[in-house]
Amino acid sequence: MTDYKISAKDVQVYYGDNHAIKDVNVDIEDKTVTAFIGPSGCGKSTFLRCLNRMNDTIDICRVQGDILLDGEDIYDPAVDPVQLRAKVGMVFQKPNPFPKSIYDNVAYGPKIHGLARTKAELDEIVEKSLRKAALWTEAKDRLHSPGTGLSGGQQQRLCIARAIATSPEVLLMDEPCSALDPIATAQVEELIDELRQSYSVVIVTHSMQQAARVSQKTAFFHLGNLVEFGETDKIFTNPEDPRTESYISGRIG
Amino acid sequence: MTDTPKFTSLKVQDPHTKNRNAAEKRFRSYGIIALAIGGLFLAALTFTILKSGLPAFTQYVMKLDVTLSQEQFDDAESQLLKTAVYRDIFVDNFAAQLDAQGVDVAYDAAALERMLGKVGGDIRAHYRENPNDIGVPTTFQLQLSSRVEGYFRGRVTRDTLVDSRFLEKADLDVVDVLRDAGLMTGRFNWAFLTGTDSGVDNPGGAGIGASVIGSFFMMLVVLFLSLPIGVAASIYLEEFAPKNRFTDLVEVNISNLAAVPSIVFGILGLSVFIQFMHLPQSAPLVGGLVLTLMTLPTIIISTRASLKSVPPSIRDAALGIGASKMQSVFHHVLPLAMPGILTGTIIGLAQALGETAPLLLIGMVGFVAREFPDGVAAGFLDPNSAMPAQIYTWAARADVGFYEKAWGGIIVLLVFLLLMNAIAIFLRKKFERRW
Repeated sequence: MTDYKISAKDVQVYYGDNHAIKDVNVDIEDKTVTAFIGPSGCGKSTFLRCLNRMNDTIDICRVQGDILLDGEDIYDPAVDPVQLRAKVGMVFQKPNPFPKSIYDNVAYGPKIHGLARTKAELDEIVEKSLRKAALWTEAKDRLHSPGTGLSGGQQQRLCIARAIATSPEVLLMDEPCSALDPIATAQVEELIDELRQSYSVVIVTHSMQQAARVSQKTAFFHLGNLVEFGETDKIFTNPEDPRTESYISGRIG
Repeated sequence: MTDTPKFTSLKVQDPHTKNRNAAEKRFRSYGIIALAIGGLFLAALTFTILKSGLPAFTQYVMKLDVTLSQEQFDDAESQLLKTAVYRDIFVDNFAAQLDAQGVDVAYDAAALERMLGKVGGDIRAHYRENPNDIGVPTTFQLQLSSRVEGYFRGRVTRDTLVDSRFLEKADLDVVDVLRDAGLMTGRFNWAFLTGTDSGVDNPGGAGIGASVIGSFFMMLVVLFLSLPIGVAASIYLEEFAPKNRFTDLVEVNISNLAAVPSIVFGILGLSVFIQFMHLPQSAPLVGGLVLTLMTLPTIIISTRASLKSVPPSIRDAALGIGASKMQSVFHHVLPLAMPGILTGTIIGLAQALGETAPLLLIGMVGFVAREFPDGVAAGFLDPNSAMPAQIYTWAARADVGFYEKAWGGIIVLLVFLLLMNAIAIFLRKKFERRW
């Protein structure tokens, strides 16, 4: 067992003939927020989707190298991606609640994974998840109204509640605030900071300020390469690689 | 030298804008003209159908009270020519009724037969089936012959009528008197809806009921085969199948099948289901199988289109919290695609309901529908026809009386089609996510 929650070794990703991710080595710690930053098309979202094998749904995508979760290779043929995704939850760029009630949105994961035996247990999980996602006070009186009737920021917090309802160990967030206004963004960021108490969070973001605000570790991707990975403070104040420095100072990207 | 920009007022249209506006105006008027022409055709079609088809729903009868005593019945049954005795009884009653109403008209038994056909058999059949009516006054409603009916509808006039053994000009005077006396009237023709096909010489007795039942059993087969097969095939192709040359080939061929003429499916059904598998001829089961083959491509194409229209973010959301592929499809994608699937299915069924050519090839022609099936198994296996094939058969018959039956049949068919479309709209509204 390593000390790291997730460690990726020499990861290569191909989309057909396109070599999208090249030799990425990264170690993600438990109970830490790790941010992936970089210009558009640099592969940070692709790499994030490798961590819970969401890329399996894309036919032409091939992944090489090792990605270890708690020391186990998640691309081992014996691993069932469905089981993996219960452990490694995901929140997407665009809020995508199911067209069902708020309650059903959150309860869906626990239901399919058999986490609750009784209605009372399920109610408890739903309440706990909504509380953690800071949505309980707003949603408790309208649990059975449609999730798509919420505002954008509330929808994204609903998606976060849905993701944490299955008690994952890692939470992957793919630009979770890009469709939100500054107030909703602030709420989600606050939430991410709280989630760090219980989970390892990996967040892809376009906003360097956001990375600086929420993360402890930052990885900078450029053209499919992991250019630099380290403490967030260090990356933003004293980057080693000239490309990192150009990016954070706004000269490339 | 510098160009000083010339002042142009926004209130004056420049030539370019004028052209664009004129083009848009022209395009709009094309659209309105097209709509108007379409509406005109529709109105003309509806008018023709109703005008030609509605007469099929009325029937002209002679009402007559007949009283038959037990002695008369026993006497008639003991005779050699039984129907002739009943005819005489009928003529006596007819004369009595005319006297009672004070109607004075010259006629003979032969004229009555020309107007009503051989009524003796009908009367005998009634009393043999309803022995309780013996001794009690009973009102008979006897159907008028095709030519007299034609006279009521204006199809036959004194100018066009040529005296023959079917009808003579003098008979029309009798008809006029009887009509004025209220003995001959029109009534709603229930027999058209509940009856079976009749012989080629009896358009008045023809009904579409048996073919409606035939169509019903056929549609049951189509629904219970094509919906599950079609939806399962589409879900597999759309969500699970790998994208390779084989599935591409399957896809192209499904689109091609949708364009294959229906008569080809009829020939296929004839050779495979009847000649090779020895299923019964003219059976709604075989008709249903053939129409299933024809409907499948339609259902698959529309189901795949509605599955495709479900946003991929819903699939990602389900997979992202650890739902299996199948859970994501059945819990989230399929419910969202349901309105589209149902609409496509019902449109496919409606198409199958109106299909004629393949049914003719497997023997489901109109004249087969001579009796109602006896029970459910017989409904699937006994020879029967279907509405469109019945209409086709009527339209092809020589007697003009069948012509209006054909139009009436079209009205019945259209009512069923409208009903199915209404169900499609209802289901779509019901399953549509309103948020």
